Formats: sequence, C-alpha cells, structure tokens
Amino acid sequence: MRGDLTTPSGRHISPIRVVRRPVAAVVLACGLLAAGAGVAGLAAASQSGRPAVPLGRAKLVPVPLGRQAPAPQPFRRKVARPTRLIIPSIGVRTKLIRLGLTSSGALQPPATTAVAGWYTGSPRPGATGAAVIGGHIDSQQGPGIFFRLRVLHRGSRVYVRRANGTLAVFKVTAVRSYLKTRFPTEAVYGPAPGAQLRLITCGGTFDYGTGHYLSNVVVFATLVPRGAR
Amino acid sequence: MTLSRSAGRLAKLTVVLCLALSMLGFAIPAASASKGHGWLRLAHLSPNTPALDVYLYSFGDPHARIVLKHVSYGMVSPYERVPAGEYTVAMRAMSATATSKPVLSATVNVASGRAYTVAGMGPVSGLQLQVLRDRLTAPRGKALVRVIQASMHQTAVTVSAAMTVLGRKLKFTAVTRYQAVKPGDLLVRAVGESEHGSERFKLAANTIYTFVIMDDSGHLKVAGLEDSAGSKVMPSGGAQMGFGGTAPRPGAPLLPWLGAAAAGLLAAAGGTIRLRHRRRPALHAR
Repeated sequence: MRGDLTTPSGRHISPIRVVRRPVAAVVLACGLLAAGAGVAGLAAASQSGRPAVPLGRAKLVPVPLGRQAPAPQPFRRKVARPTRLIIPSIGVRTKLIRLGLTSSGALQPPATTAVAGWYTGSPRPGATGAAVIGGHIDSQQGPGIFFRLRVLHRGSRVYVRRANGTLAVFKVTAVRSYLKTRFPTEAVYGPAPGAQLRLITCGGTFDYGTGHYLSNVVVFATLVPRGAR
Repeated sequence: MTLSRSAGRLAKLTVVLCLALSMLGFAIPAASASKGHGWLRLAHLSPNTPALDVYLYSFGDPHARIVLKHVSYGMVSPYERVPAGEYTVAMRAMSATATSKPVLSATVNVASGRAYTVAGMGPVSGLQLQVLRDRLTAPRGKALVRVIQASMHQTAVTVSAAMTVLGRKLKFTAVTRYQAVKPGDLLVRAVGESEHGSERFKLAANTIYTFVIMDDSGHLKVAGLEDSAGSKVMPSGGAQMGFGGTAPRPGAPLLPWLGAAAAGLLAAAGGTIRLRHRRRPALHAR
C-alpha cells in the first residue's frame, strides 16, 4: 500500500502515526529552546538589579587648623560668612556655595553633587541660631558630597571655615531620618538658642517613579566654643 | 495629696506621654525621649551689686559645670546646652574661693528642649535669682520680643517699639511677656520719669529677642539680646538632595522569564514523553 510504512520487525504503521514523531521532536526542540531562553532571561533579569552602593572607605581628610570661634555674643555681633565645610570622620572637604529657595519654597539643592551649600536665609554658622547646610547624597552615577552623612554619630566634629579664616567647630548631637511628607520644619529651620548647625541630605528609599528619595537625613550639631572641650 | 492619688496622676501622665510619643511616630528615637537637653544662660542685672563669680552645678555634683568669673552688671553669658535635670546656680563675691558659702543660690529645673535665663536681679540689699523661661518658637514670619526692666534709677519705664508698646510703667525687675512684632528696622525707646534712652535694632523674622533696660550714666540704655534665631524664610518641607545613584535598584521582572522557562520545560517534557511513547511501539501494537 502506498504511503504505508513497515517497521523493521515488519509491523505496520499508519501515516498519521508516523507524522507524530517529528511533531513530538519539534515540540521537544521548541520546548528546550524556550526553557533555555527562559533561564537565560532569568539570569539576565536577576543581574539587572543592583544592591545599594556600599559606604566604602572615606577619603582621608585631616582635622583643619585655625582659630576657633567663640560662643555667639548675646548682644548680636556679625560673624564672618562661611566658606568651607570639613568633616574629617566622613572624608568631607568642600567649598560652600550659597543656597536659596526653589520656586516652590523648598530648600534649593546645590547645582552639583560634589559641593555643599549654606542656606543664606539661615543664620551664619557660629552666630546665634540654626545654620543650615545642604548637600546631595548622590548623583545618578554615584556618591555625592553627603553620601556618608548618615554614619555621623553623636560627638562627631564638623568644621566650618569662615571668610576671616576662623573655624566654627560643631559637635553632632543627633542624626535623624524623616519622611519628607512628615518633615519637622520647626525643629530644623525654626528658632534655636546658641550657635547650632543642621546638615541636610536625602536618604531612605529611592522612588524610581518620581526620581526622588522619600526621606531626609538631618544632622543636628551645636557649637563647641573656643576654650571648651 | 495622698499616695494613691499621686500614683493615679503618674499613671495618667504615663498614658498621655506614651500616646503623644506614639503619635510623633518613629521620627524621635526613644533615647531622646528619656533624657534630652535644655539650654541655660546666666545674667547679672543688678545695678548696684558689684561683680560676682557665678557657678553652675549639676544637682548632686560638687564640681561646678561652669564658672563665670567677674560677672558685672549687664553681662549675659552665652547659652549652655545642658542635660535636662536639676541645677544649682550660686553667686559668690568676686574671687571668693569655690568652697566658700555663696552670697546667693537658686535651683533651676531644666526641662528637655527648653531654654532659661537665670538672672541676678534687684538691689544688692535684696538680690534675688530669677529664673526666666525663654521662648523657642515664634509665630511664622514674625520677630518675638520681650523686655526686662533692670534700671534702678527709674521706677516706671515705658518701653515702645515703633507704634507697639512693649511694656507700660515697668517697675524695676519687671519682665514682660513676649510680643510678636514685624521684622525689620526698629527703634526701641525706653522712657522713665526723668531719664530716657533709645536704640535702633534690625530684627529678623523667626527670631526671638530680649531687650534689657539698664542704668547708664544719666540715661537709660537699651540692650538687645538675641535669644534664639531661625531661618528668615523657613524652607517648606523636605529637600531634594539626591538622584539615586547609590540606591539599590530593583531588577527587571523575573516572572515572564520564569513563565517562559516553565512552559518550555513543560513542552520539552511533553515532547520527550511522546517520543518515548513512540519508541516502545510494542506496548501499543495490536
């Protein structure tokens, strides 16, 4: 009979049954291909994420030398404007640019992520009140000037060099993280006795939808006047 | 008050405290809730009292935390940040030994997050230490001012700032309440029975001031103390200070690839079964 096949043992097989074998082979081949592609894709996709960039080692920054600023005078006297910020324990040494406010009234971030800035609406560092300095935690590529700010701790020293060469020395009293939606404006920017400092950067979870961090890290510090430990 | 009543109050206070703390959320760590810091400054505002040495002791500690030597009329120390708790301020005659009996002493209870001025006031015959509570918040966009009348020559001093009367006919040692005024250039005038004086100040918004009226030779002196200062314009909310370059990034979704792999494996398994099924024809041959 035409179209009919016979097995070596002489058994008779119908054409339909014969066709099944290549189909099964093709199914097997396609299945293996798909599985392979799936596994490869899985491997690629699992590699596409990225863990947080580790803190690593901070650049070595020596403790600056200079005449230490005294406690602010109760009878107001102007202090020199801030020019540089030095935090040896986290390897920060930067010039201070001047910051204003954004059109929406928020603190203006520095134009580059490599420098920090002093908010000109706040008291000068070393004068009575809470001086405000802001800096980026990171750029899109990597760490910014305040990348390690969150690891400062109570007692860490922060130095602000001023235009007349004097140093306002601050000691950290608290490091806090606040959700931006619950930012304590009064505690950070409101009236404060003595000479104090607030260092502000971002932190917490990064929202890839909005391109912003959800929290702010705020370092609270207070002046160590000349003669004090 | 009986013991049980005070215990009841304590329990109530604890409940209220816990509620308040839980409402504040995680923003304030427990450590600062248990023991915070306050602010303290010392002043000599007694015109006919000679210069003194002022000592600040933490309660129960015989060693002075601060010693201010030769403090004379009109001198005010900078604020000192101190752990919350009880303190003793002692005034001794100039250059008297630290162990000598003080001329005057007072106890101050410093609460967390509060500021105090402890001032020696009154005539030398009736010198007293007054504990003044200093405000630390101002109405948004305003300057906050108060007056301490420390002139002994004049017994009724009226102090005004522009059109606002800060205090009327203030007696020696009187302290007014804080009042909100518009920030900007301000002429503060003090007018007594026979003497007067004035001083021009530049007041900043969100800043708190104390004006002290003092005796000066033949006239009144207005001294301006800057108690607390904030940002002139308070930034609203948080700040955008990062672009995410160091944040962990979630990977591409794994599920589609997992599905593809599973489907492929299933298909391959099916194909294999089919093939093996064909390779054993004996089972099905009839």
